[in-house]
Amino acid sequence: MRIVIAGCGDIGYYLAKLLEQEYKNIVLIDSQKENLKSVEANLGIATILGDSTSYKTLKEAGVDSCNYFIGVTSVESVNVLSCILAKKLGAKHTVSRISNMEYILNKDTLNFKIIGIDDIISPEFLAAREIEQILKEPSLTESTEIADGKLKVIGLHLNDKSRLIGKSLVESAKFNRDNSFMIAAINRSGKTIIPHGKTIFETGDYVYFITSDKTSGQILEFTGNPLIEIKNILIAGGSRTGEYIAHRLNNNFNITLIEKDQAKCNDLALRLEHIQVVHGDCTNTKLLEEERIGNYNAFVSVTGNSETNILSCMVAKHHNVDKTIALIENIGLIDYSQNLGIDTLINKKIAAANFLFKKIIKGNKLSFLYGIDAEIMEFTLHNGSELINRPIKELNFPENAIIGGVIRNGEGYVTLGDFELMADDKVFVFSDSQSSNKVLSFFE
Amino acid sequence: MKYRKLDTFKMIFRQIGSLLIILGLTMTVPAIVSLIYSEYYSLVGFVISGLISMLTGGLLYYKIKSNYEPLKRHALIIAAMGWLSIAIMGSLPFIIIAYISPLELLQGFIPAGADYHSSIFFFKNPLHALFESMSGFTTTGLSMAVHEPSMGKGLLFYRHFIQWLGGAGFVVLTISILKQPNGKVSYLLYNAESTGERLKTTIIETARSIWKVYTFLTLFCFLFLIAGIYFLLPEYSLADNIFDAINHAMAGMSTGGFSTLDNSIAEYQSQGAEILLLFPMILGALSLPFYVRVFNLKQYNQLWKDLQTKSLLILFVIGSLVLSIMLYISGTVSEPFRIGIFQFVSALSTTGWQTSDVHIWDSASVTFIVMAGMIVGGSLGATVGGVKIIRVLILFKGLFWRIGGYFKSEESVNVVTVNNHRLLPDEMNRELASVSTFVFIYCVFLLLGTMIGYYTMGTGFTLKDALFESASAQGTVGLSCGITKPGMSPLLELTFIFQMWAGRLEIIPLLVLFRSILFGTKPFLT
Repeated sequence: MRIVIAGCGDIGYYLAKLLEQEYKNIVLIDSQKENLKSVEANLGIATILGDSTSYKTLKEAGVDSCNYFIGVTSVESVNVLSCILAKKLGAKHTVSRISNMEYILNKDTLNFKIIGIDDIISPEFLAAREIEQILKEPSLTESTEIADGKLKVIGLHLNDKSRLIGKSLVESAKFNRDNSFMIAAINRSGKTIIPHGKTIFETGDYVYFITSDKTSGQILEFTGNPLIEIKNILIAGGSRTGEYIAHRLNNNFNITLIEKDQAKCNDLALRLEHIQVVHGDCTNTKLLEEERIGNYNAFVSVTGNSETNILSCMVAKHHNVDKTIALIENIGLIDYSQNLGIDTLINKKIAAANFLFKKIIKGNKLSFLYGIDAEIMEFTLHNGSELINRPIKELNFPENAIIGGVIRNGEGYVTLGDFELMADDKVFVFSDSQSSNKVLSFFE
Repeated sequence: MKYRKLDTFKMIFRQIGSLLIILGLTMTVPAIVSLIYSEYYSLVGFVISGLISMLTGGLLYYKIKSNYEPLKRHALIIAAMGWLSIAIMGSLPFIIIAYISPLELLQGFIPAGADYHSSIFFFKNPLHALFESMSGFTTTGLSMAVHEPSMGKGLLFYRHFIQWLGGAGFVVLTISILKQPNGKVSYLLYNAESTGERLKTTIIETARSIWKVYTFLTLFCFLFLIAGIYFLLPEYSLADNIFDAINHAMAGMSTGGFSTLDNSIAEYQSQGAEILLLFPMILGALSLPFYVRVFNLKQYNQLWKDLQTKSLLILFVIGSLVLSIMLYISGTVSEPFRIGIFQFVSALSTTGWQTSDVHIWDSASVTFIVMAGMIVGGSLGATVGGVKIIRVLILFKGLFWRIGGYFKSEESVNVVTVNNHRLLPDEMNRELASVSTFVFIYCVFLLLGTMIGYYTMGTGFTLKDALFESASAQGTVGLSCGITKPGMSPLLELTFIFQMWAGRLEIIPLLVLFRSILFGTKPFLT
C-alpha cells in the first residue's frame, strides 16, 4: 500500500509516525527543507522536496499508483488543488485538510467527490468533536469509542481516594463484579506500562480501561473519581473550534463564550443561538469573577494561544470548576496535564491524525492515545485460526500487549483471562509501540 | 451641478403631479358604476373631477422639467404633501355632485316615508367633503354622510373605492404604474409610504406584486361575501347583495370601514352576517408583504413563523374575550360577547364597522378598546392604522431586554431576536429609538386630539368619548361614539382631518414636511 502525504507540518508528521510501523511505502512531500529534515532524522520515510501542486513533484512521489493521497498542508487551497491533481493522476483515495467549517457541515450538499476529493478533514472540527465527546461524558478524562461505541476505552487518573491504590491487578479483579471492564494500560510519570498480574497501582497513575459498560459508573466509583454532571459551560475563545462546540452543545447546556475581539463577538452573537457571548479577555481574572466562573461546571479554553489556554484553565481550576479542557499546540505538554492541574489537554493535530487513521485508512491500528506510547489494534479472527476456542491466558500472548475486548455478533465483550475467542470475532489489542510488530505477527 | 431651492420644489411638485394623474385615471371606475346605475349627474361629476385632477397632474408632471433626484427627506415630503393633495382632489366629486344634482332626483334615493334630506347636501360644505375624502383615502371610515344609501350608488361606490385605493397605498400604486427615472427614486418613495420591505429584485416588481395580491384577496372576499350573505339571508335581493359585497370587500380588505348600509353592519341584524364580515377585517389586518411571501414567493413557512401574524391572531382572540367580559361586567350592552368580539376585531384591524353604540359603553371598556385595539392596530405593511403590533412587540422585547441586561455582566453581547432576525445591541438600540420616538409622538398627538375634542365636542359627551374619537381618527379606525357628525365644530373636524392624515403616514413624514416649511432643509448645527 502506497501512501503519499503532502505537507509535513504537525499533522503530516504525526500521521507519518503512526503509519510508519504498519506500512512501508510512505512518501512525504513538503516545500520546506527544514520540515523534511526532522522527518529524515526521526522516521524512516521517503521525502520529496517540492510543491505538492506541481505535476512533476506528484509524479515523482508516485501518486499515480498510490492508495491514499493526503493533503494536509496549512493552506486550504493547496490541499484542495493537490487532491484534485492527485485524483486525476490516479490516486485511489484522496483526503484534503480544509479550514472552512461550512464545507464540513454541508459536505453532503457540496459533494466534493465529484471534483476528486473523497474525504475532507478539519483539525479544528475534529478537536471540537473530541471536546464535545468529553463534555458529554464529563467524569472521564478521556474516552474513545471502538466499533461505534460497543466498546469504550476510557482514561482516568487514580487519586489518593481510589481503592485501587496499593493493590495489584489480580487483586483489582474483585471490583470487577460483572466482568464489564479490564485495565489495559497505565501511564506512570510519562512511562507506559501494559500491566500484568503483579503490577501494583500507585497514586497519580493514569489508567486506561476497556469497558462494555456505557455508564462507567462502577469504574468511577473505585478509582475515586467523582461523578460530574455538567450544566453550565464557559468557553474561552471564539475560534472555529469554540464556535463549533457552542453550535453543537447549545441545546443541552447553558453556554457562555468569551471572545476578545469585538467584531468577532458581534458576529458570533448573531450566528449562535441560545449562547451568551461576552466581550473580554479570558485571562482577565476580574472578568471571570464577574461572570461567576465558579458557577460553571466546565471551562473550555480554545483560543489560538496555548499559554492563554493553560493559564485560564488554571484560574478556572482554582475557582473549583469541575472540568477544565485546554487546546494546546505543543504536543509534548500533554504528559504534564496532571501536574498543570488541567483535566484534559487537546491537540487538534493528534485529533486529525487519529481520525485519518481510524476512519479513513482503517488499518489494524485503531487509535493513538494521548500521552501514552501505546496503541489499539484491531484484528478479525478466521475460521481455523489457532487462537480460537482456547482461554486467553493459555495463548502465550506477547508481553507488553493485552487482548482488551472483542466484538461478537454486534455485541461488545471484555476479554478477561478465561475468555475464549471464536471465529469471526473482532479482537482489539492494546500494545505498547515496541511490541506492536510482535502482535502483528502473532495474528498472522 | 449647483442645487437651487427651486429645483427641489420642481421635483416635489412633479412627483405629486404623477400621483394626481393616477387619481384622475381611477375616477373612470366610479364613473362607469354611475353609468350602470343611470346616475348621470354623478357620472358628470366624476368625469369633471377626473379631468381636473388629470389636467393638474399632467401640467405638473409633464410641464415641469426636473432632473433633480429626490433624497430621503424629499421622499417623505412628497408622501406627506401627496396624500394631502390626493385628499383635496378626491373631495371634488363630493362637492361637484352635491352642487349639480337636482333636488328632486336626490330625494329619490331616500326610502319612502323617511323624513330626512339626502346626505349629499352636507357636501356642499367643502370641509365636509375634504373630511369624507381624507377619511376614505386614509381608510378611516368616519363619515359625514349620516344616511349613506341616500348618496346614490355612484358616490357610495366611490367612497369604498377610494378606501380600497388608499389601503395598499397610493404611492405604491403610482410607482407600479408610472415609470420612475431610476430604482432609487422608487425605493425612496416606496419607503416613505410603506414598510420598505423589498420583496422582489426591483421596487416596481415589489409594488406590482403587492397590488396583485391585494386585488386577488379583495376578489376573494367579494365572492366569499356574496356566497355568505346569499346563504344566510336568502330573501336579500341579489342586486343589492352584489353591490354590498363588492363595497364591503373593498372596505374590509382595506380596513376602511365605510358601509353601504344606513346603520353600518348593524343593519343586517344578523349574527351570521357579523361573523361573515369578521373575515375580510382579519384578512385586511395581516401584512401585505406577508401575503406576497406566502402566495407569490411560496414561503409557506411564513404562515407559522411570522411573529407579527402570529401575535396579531392571538391578540384578536384574547382582546375580543377580554372586551366581551368587560362589557358583560359593565352591563351596558345586551349581547356583550357578540358585540365585544365584533367591535374588538373592528378596532384592532382598524376597520371601523360598527354594531354597537359606543357612547353608552362604560369608561373601562372604552379605555381597553382604545389601548389594546385602536392604538395597537394591525400588522406593519397591512392597510391598517395605529402604531402597528410589531412596534408594540419591539417595545416589550426592549423592556425585557433591558431588565434582562441587569442580570448579565456589562461586557455581555446581548442579542435580541425580533421576528426571526437576530439584532446586536447597537442595532436593537437604534430600532428601539426609532420605534419609541414614533410611539411617543403618536401618543402626544392622540392626547392633543383628545384635549381639542374635549373642548369642542358639545354637550352629552365625556372625556372617554373624546379619547375614543381621537384614537379612532388617528388610528384610521372609523368607529364613532357620535361626536363626528355634520354639525360638529369645524376646529375639531380639521383636527380629525389632520389626525387621519398623520395617522396614515405614521406622523414622521408630516413632521419632516413642517420642519422644512418652517426651517428649510438645512441641517441644524449644535
